[in-house]
Amino acid sequence: MQFGPIWRALMRNRTGAILIALQVAVTMAIMVNAISIIQSRSEAMARPSGVDEANIFYISSIGFNEEFNERVTIEEDLAAIRALPGVVNAIQSNSVPLSGGGWSMGLQTEAGDDIDGIGTAVYFTDEHGLDTYGLNLVAGENFAPSDVGWREGSTPNWPDRVIITVSLAKGLFGEEEWRSAVGSTVYINSNEPMTVIGIIERMQAPWNGWDRLDNTMLSPEHTLFRSTRYIVRTEPGRRDELMPQVEELLADSNRDRIVRGLTTMEETRERSYRGHASMIKMLLFTIALLLLITALGIVGLASFSVSRRTKQIGTRRALGASKADIASYFMSENFLISGVGVLLGAALTVGLNMAMVDAFDLDRMELWLLPVAMLVLLVVGQLAVLGPARRAASVPPAVATRTV
Amino acid sequence: MFAYYLKLGWLSIRGNPWLSLLMVAAIGVGIGACMTILTVNYTMSGNPIPHKSDRLFHVQLDSWDANDPGEDGFQPPDQVTYTDALALKRAAPAFRQVASNRSGLVLEPEGDDERPFTVDVRNTWADFFPMFEPPFLYGGGWDASADESREPVVVLGRELNERVFGGEDSVGRTVRMNGLNFRVVGVIDEWQPVPKFYDVTNGPFNSTEEAFIPFTLAVEQELPRNGNTNCWKSPEGDGFQAFLASECVWIQYWAELRNDAERAEFHQWLDNYVMEQKELGRFPRPVNNRLLDVMQWMEDQEVVEDDAQVMLGLSVLFLVVCLLNTIGLLLAKFMRKTGEISVRRALGARRGDLFRQHMVEAGLIGLGGGILGLGLTWLGLRGIEALFGEFVENLVGLDWVMMLTAIGLAIVSALVAGLYPTWRATQVMPASQLKAQ
Amino acid sequence: MLSMQNISMVYRTDTVETHALREFSLEVGEGEFVAVTGPSGSGKTTFLNIAGLLEKFTSGVYALDGKNVSSLSDAETSRVRNEKIGFIFQGFNLIPDLDIYDNVDVPLRYRGFDGAERKRRIDRVLDLVGLASRRKHLPAQLSGGQQQRVAIARALAGEPRFLLADEPTGNLDSQMALSIMELIQEINRGGTTIIMVTHDPTLAALAHRNVHIRDGRVSDADDSDMQLAEVANG
Repeated sequence: MQFGPIWRALMRNRTGAILIALQVAVTMAIMVNAISIIQSRSEAMARPSGVDEANIFYISSIGFNEEFNERVTIEEDLAAIRALPGVVNAIQSNSVPLSGGGWSMGLQTEAGDDIDGIGTAVYFTDEHGLDTYGLNLVAGENFAPSDVGWREGSTPNWPDRVIITVSLAKGLFGEEEWRSAVGSTVYINSNEPMTVIGIIERMQAPWNGWDRLDNTMLSPEHTLFRSTRYIVRTEPGRRDELMPQVEELLADSNRDRIVRGLTTMEETRERSYRGHASMIKMLLFTIALLLLITALGIVGLASFSVSRRTKQIGTRRALGASKADIASYFMSENFLISGVGVLLGAALTVGLNMAMVDAFDLDRMELWLLPVAMLVLLVVGQLAVLGPARRAASVPPAVATRTV
Repeated sequence: MFAYYLKLGWLSIRGNPWLSLLMVAAIGVGIGACMTILTVNYTMSGNPIPHKSDRLFHVQLDSWDANDPGEDGFQPPDQVTYTDALALKRAAPAFRQVASNRSGLVLEPEGDDERPFTVDVRNTWADFFPMFEPPFLYGGGWDASADESREPVVVLGRELNERVFGGEDSVGRTVRMNGLNFRVVGVIDEWQPVPKFYDVTNGPFNSTEEAFIPFTLAVEQELPRNGNTNCWKSPEGDGFQAFLASECVWIQYWAELRNDAERAEFHQWLDNYVMEQKELGRFPRPVNNRLLDVMQWMEDQEVVEDDAQVMLGLSVLFLVVCLLNTIGLLLAKFMRKTGEISVRRALGARRGDLFRQHMVEAGLIGLGGGILGLGLTWLGLRGIEALFGEFVENLVGLDWVMMLTAIGLAIVSALVAGLYPTWRATQVMPASQLKAQ
Repeated sequence: MLSMQNISMVYRTDTVETHALREFSLEVGEGEFVAVTGPSGSGKTTFLNIAGLLEKFTSGVYALDGKNVSSLSDAETSRVRNEKIGFIFQGFNLIPDLDIYDNVDVPLRYRGFDGAERKRRIDRVLDLVGLASRRKHLPAQLSGGQQQRVAIARALAGEPRFLLADEPTGNLDSQMALSIMELIQEINRGGTTIIMVTHDPTLAALAHRNVHIRDGRVSDADDSDMQLAEVANG
């Protein structure tokens, strides 16, 4: 099929063609930018938290009575939970990764008020922490039981020893020398020294949108904040059966507190990324709907164009055009229109992306998306025009001689 | 003639049901997508207290670290320290002013079978109620004297009152929280400012607290806090008193100022106060106090989320696609009626007559699209609710304004889409015969 | 009543000029019934479109009812068509979505009559053409003859002074054609001026006067034999 005559015919009756081309262009701009957002959200969601998510759950305990002896309770609770068959280990802590709430501090390698620290999340834990979270110690050593102290709500001081993540070690000591962090002194609260005794491969902070998400330190302390959290790691497959057991054990063992918020790490992840996941679903739905609308528009206008040209088609048939010739005429016509549309769309897409990156905190799109989207839209256009083209092909040559 | 055009439009739509349906669907889907997202944005950017939002001012004092500029340079923190809250309350010249913070207590119901449960609580001052005007079901707020004498009084939310007292008028009765007996002085009816302007820091779209107690009492009893706390240096010393005296910010502070003069006076007082504090070694940064009214504060805190705005932009483009679609289909529809149009011209219809006739037809299709779009908006909002869950429960209501906007936007969109096809229709020449092709 | 002097009509495309009418002149008096005949391509349709103010012409003077119409605006010509001219088309040109009553109503709507006046006029003309009982029918539910009667009723509803008919019986069988022609003659006897374009000499014979067009001009009367021969052959 020759494009030349088709193009010239299009130019003589261009409104419908322009409308379709514009529609294809805007569709492409929306589609590519939506996919770009989906990509970056998926990448964010794929970042590992560093903990054994499948087998961890946690629960809060809140003492509300004057008689409530928090310190004793915590010691008893931990001993009882750790003794349950199926429990790998358990700790008391302030937070877990992705939970959205927790502590942060700044660390620095030199003491001094006017030095900018490097931000890090803080988890309070004891010597069971590495095992409970399922963390991978890549250098140095774990806490000893004697390292673990007790922190009250407004204790200003910090322990002498600390474990940090690789990411934090790199931030403090440099990309290459992070291993040298072990044994080094870091300062918290500007002036208070702590010795790094170990480095863990990875553990995320509680806030998934934080730009220093992998900066985390473990502080060897139990907390006496009246409200606390127990983190429990179970043997694979036994989490769900142990959750009600632990809840019951805590609720029954002490009536001066309430237990609440029994949650798995998996739920926490789901909740944490719910916004992202929902955004992805909405965008996917938008793309699907958009392609459908555009395809329907192509079907509508192509059908109109076929019915308007019935006589012309009959004439062509009478003059010797085969069914395939007629169908391919309409297919080629759509290819030309969509082709102009996707070229225009490529420009529009880049423009929209620049505007969105400018206005919002979005990642720039990847350029390979452009040719892929162009191809997809061309294929969608061809599929949409298939029906009308076949209807055109079935116009009998006798129409040519019929006067209406 | 309008009724005549309506009739003609309806006949034309009926005469070509599939094409018409396609257009109604295109507009409906576009409107549905747009309005769903617009509703969320509209609710996020709504004025939670329209009749006095320009008289309520959020107070910011720049007590922060001189060595730690944020991304946008020196910005005063969004909350204030206990020291400053107390000083302002004691001497600042405001018509009303109120400090408050978020807290959570454990409520022990009467009767042994009932398990204790946690309650979201706001610690605040007596002025909270006349300032923010929550509607009372029973009783009212407490007096300023209760603040001073640190009386254990409580204002309950409707839901908590139902849970504890079965919805009865509980004024005068007692609830036990964290080991203290609180006397109920009032019960607030359903009240959900959106955004929850008085505490954006702890979530602009969170639910209203279930109970309100005197701030002074909470401090005296050292009741737990669970709102956002930020410190740029650690408290000097151990214990709760050290925390109170620290540079940590954890209190939302609001003032009601009735006119520019009051506002200026208050602002002047703040600046003087900071100058005095500087002499005591506090406030290391340059004086940078801010008074923003409700809507300015919502703007400053960017309560409308980026994602909502991104989706809004995309959905508007989506509507554009739907309209391009509609233009094409309307053009096809009107061009199919060339014969009728030329007969009408021959019978004496002016271009204007045909213009109005076809715009009415486009408008009718828009109306259909609007009604469909409204249904789809409702579905869309349910979809968002299902996707995002409790985070958006206060954002997915459809009010009259949005319903009328949906219909109006649909009709306007259809009219805009109809302009070009209608213009083409008026250009059809009158003729004595219908052309076959 | 109608006066055309030296009317020319030239269609121009990028490459060709087509002269549809050349220096065409015609006078039609009040109450006359004139038949315009001619072979296809002779300019009959162009003449009719110009006479009915459906098309502008290139040059010449056209006065209708003593008034020069060449300078009228689009809205003014619409008004003249609506008030003074009734059209009867070969293809009937009823609006398929509208029932009989509403089809006849179309010109009256643009005239701006109130509902009672429109109803009075529609009832009268539907009675006249004998279709009062079919007012709720759609055009497709009627025979060709009945459809043409509706079209005539629509043309008459505005009580025009001047009726233009384009092959009014062209799509009808001879029986129906006859009854439509009787109706047209009756309308003419009622005082309405009629110009009918046709290629059928037997119909043309029913008019007071015949005008023959050939190559866009009024041709000599003795051409009529030749025209008869053409019709017989075609």
